[in-house]
Amino acid sequence: MERELPILVVDDDPGIRESLSRELRAAGYDTITAGDGSTGLAAFRVHLPELLLTDLAMPVSDGFQLIGAVRRFSRTPIIVLSVRGAEADKIRALDLGADDFVTKPFSVPELLARVRAQLRRRGAAVASTLLQFEELAIDLERRRVTQGEREVKLTRTEFALLELLATHAGQPVLMEQIIARVWDAAPGTTHDTVRVHMSALRRKLEPDPANPRYIVTEPWIGYRFIAEPD
Amino acid sequence: MRPVGKWLTMLGIAASLGATAAYNYFFIPPLHTFRIDDPRNFVALAVFLVWSLIVTRLVVAAREQAAEAERRRLEGEASAHLDLLRQSDAFKTSLLRAVSHDLTTPLTAIRIHTQSLKRHAVAAPELANVVNAIDDETARLHRRIDNLLTIARLEAGRFTPHPEPTPPADIFHAVRESLPLVFASRTVTIGVARDCPDAYVDPSLVLEIVVNLVENAHRASPSGTPLELSAQCVDGRVQLEVLDRGPGIPADADVAQRGLGLEIARGLTAASNGTFTLVNRQGGGAVARVELPAAVLPSVEETE
Repeated sequence: MERELPILVVDDDPGIRESLSRELRAAGYDTITAGDGSTGLAAFRVHLPELLLTDLAMPVSDGFQLIGAVRRFSRTPIIVLSVRGAEADKIRALDLGADDFVTKPFSVPELLARVRAQLRRRGAAVASTLLQFEELAIDLERRRVTQGEREVKLTRTEFALLELLATHAGQPVLMEQIIARVWDAAPGTTHDTVRVHMSALRRKLEPDPANPRYIVTEPWIGYRFIAEPD
Repeated sequence: MRPVGKWLTMLGIAASLGATAAYNYFFIPPLHTFRIDDPRNFVALAVFLVWSLIVTRLVVAAREQAAEAERRRLEGEASAHLDLLRQSDAFKTSLLRAVSHDLTTPLTAIRIHTQSLKRHAVAAPELANVVNAIDDETARLHRRIDNLLTIARLEAGRFTPHPEPTPPADIFHAVRESLPLVFASRTVTIGVARDCPDAYVDPSLVLEIVVNLVENAHRASPSGTPLELSAQCVDGRVQLEVLDRGPGIPADADVAQRGLGLEIARGLTAASNGTFTLVNRQGGGAVARVELPAAVLPSVEETE
């Protein structure tokens, strides 16, 4: 398939910028690069990329400014390249509107999987009402979940949690988003409330709870549905 | 460069060379010789040497900056003492950030470049092995740098653990993601007791702890023997165990023989309000055991 729109890679380190760009091209994507936030923003306006991949800590104009500026006029998926020990930065970037992150030094296959997840979500313009992940089938219309031949009986809250995560497969969903969407931001709903219901859901859903296949926690952030849709 | 810096550099280079020789002598087969049989170990050794030299350079640079900052501080007014303390705090933070950035950035680039090599090496299995070894060693080196930075941050008071309820299954899942080659090269069984509560820990610390223990067990035990990871509730605490079928704990083992990994695990467990023990396993092998506080979650009933 011929792709028309490039991926914009913004990183102040030329070694990372060039090698990343080369690996993305090898995977079939067009790329353009920029070395700081403001050059990145200018390139974004000219090329209107399909996806933005940006570092956070950059001299001159950083990744936060870039994400904020892009989000004022575009819904293009944004993946952040973050470093370990900078959890607060990660959360700030997600709050500003970034969709996902990878932590340096990430492996290239891991990054490509994240890129695919973002582009897939964007491509799924008409949302299907039947989601299929390996043996797990979720019928959003009839609110029915099956794992292989077995029907998984879920409470209303558990189903709402599963629906929210599975429709965002491959990307992190923040605790605050979960509370807002599943509990309508009801007062008194805490992160622990979410954890208790999520733990019940996972016990029912996972064939082997010791080796999760569908849902894992994303430390300090929330949860991530990890299976790729069929 | 100041004379002190010059001395430090020379000391650092001497230490690097000494450490490299000792690494070769103690860790690279054939053990207790300075010979190297497996060509892949040259890569490990070279990477080891280069990095110890870079670390030396960074430490010297850091010392020089610190000395410079100290000089400026002394020249400053006494009334601005509090202000200067704040600056020194900010300096520690920015220094740690700079070290972290300067070490992580080249490693990230190396790993991406390695991926390009991997693509070109598909047709040549021997080369592919070497490239995989480089990738593996780079990842290992990076984990070690992360460990040391975590400890430096803890000691400098630049990092306070942020505990939150963490399901043991997710800890093990993250360990699997961090050590794909270990899990691919031998049987690793994971068991989480049904009644096991979430651990109340800083997820990044507990991940570093268990990764170190698994890596250590992997290196200590003969290939083909299985590893076991387990989590259960013991006396209201969460007990994580890494079990191997290696040689067990030698009677006279010291840090140099057991490796840095266990010491790091011990230190980070203490910072997580946990206790760490290493015991011999019945039937042969070792058990590394970490006991952590359990999270207390509210009970929520929903009828439907």
